[in-house]
Amino acid sequence: MTEQDVRGTVLLPGSELAPVVKELTQEKISHYAGASGDHNPLHTDAEFAARTQFGGVIAHGMLILAYLSEMMTAAFGQAWLSGGTLKIRFRAPARPGDTVAASGHVLEAEGGRTVCAVECRNQRGETLATGEAAVATRGAR
Amino acid sequence: MPPNLEALPKGYEFPPTPLDLSSEWVQGYVLAVEDEAIGGLSEGLVPAMAVAALALRAILDSAKLPPGAIHLGQELAFLRPVHVGERLWARALVASRGERQGWILMGIDLNVGDESARPAMTGRAMVTMPCPEPQPETWKR
Repeated sequence: MTEQDVRGTVLLPGSELAPVVKELTQEKISHYAGASGDHNPLHTDAEFAARTQFGGVIAHGMLILAYLSEMMTAAFGQAWLSGGTLKIRFRAPARPGDTVAASGHVLEAEGGRTVCAVECRNQRGETLATGEAAVATRGAR
Repeated sequence: MPPNLEALPKGYEFPPTPLDLSSEWVQGYVLAVEDEAIGGLSEGLVPAMAVAALALRAILDSAKLPPGAIHLGQELAFLRPVHVGERLWARALVASRGERQGWILMGIDLNVGDESARPAMTGRAMVTMPCPEPQPETWKR
């Protein structure tokens, strides 16, 4: 029994997921604040954010997770929406001007379930978020 | 006036909040996160993280987030596809709360389902925030 992604590609431990790469700007972060309703000034007010431990504006953690979720949707389709799990630890903030790359690879693919290690990094290679995503996948003989 | 998040005890239940996944809101969310994958699925499906973002917004609307609060980690389980136009309900409670070295560490459990209590998403947000400054003791004779 093997597991497959949405395109029918056989998934084996070590298989890479197609990454999602986004350029972060203050405009995009503010746009997300408007859409999500999370108007914490840490994300939108440069003067306020400069006085915090972060020293400047940072992106919402949930925006970074949206990039990981897009990667999982692209790989696994509707299975991600109806049986996906995500467990993430934020490691460092993403900031305006960063290029954020969401990536992942398969850890296990058996028994109708695929488990992936996932992460987001910026253009300097700094880890922003790490964790595991799992999804119920259809097996194929 | 919503209560301050840092003052909420373990076991506190947030008031159930409706989540209206209107076409307009979902379109705004998809644009904000630049999700290019959801459009490749059946029409009318909502990105998994959109439901999570709305559920977190419900918490932010019902408890005041202190300046300096940090989103440390997130666990999510997507239990069924959600469609544009659905009305869901978010329920949340303070599942854990501890204090260490001037910081509060709080775990907030999220449960999202429809009016017939059919679950759509569950999760836990881990947040940390500074302990409130101790109030000066009143001088007594």
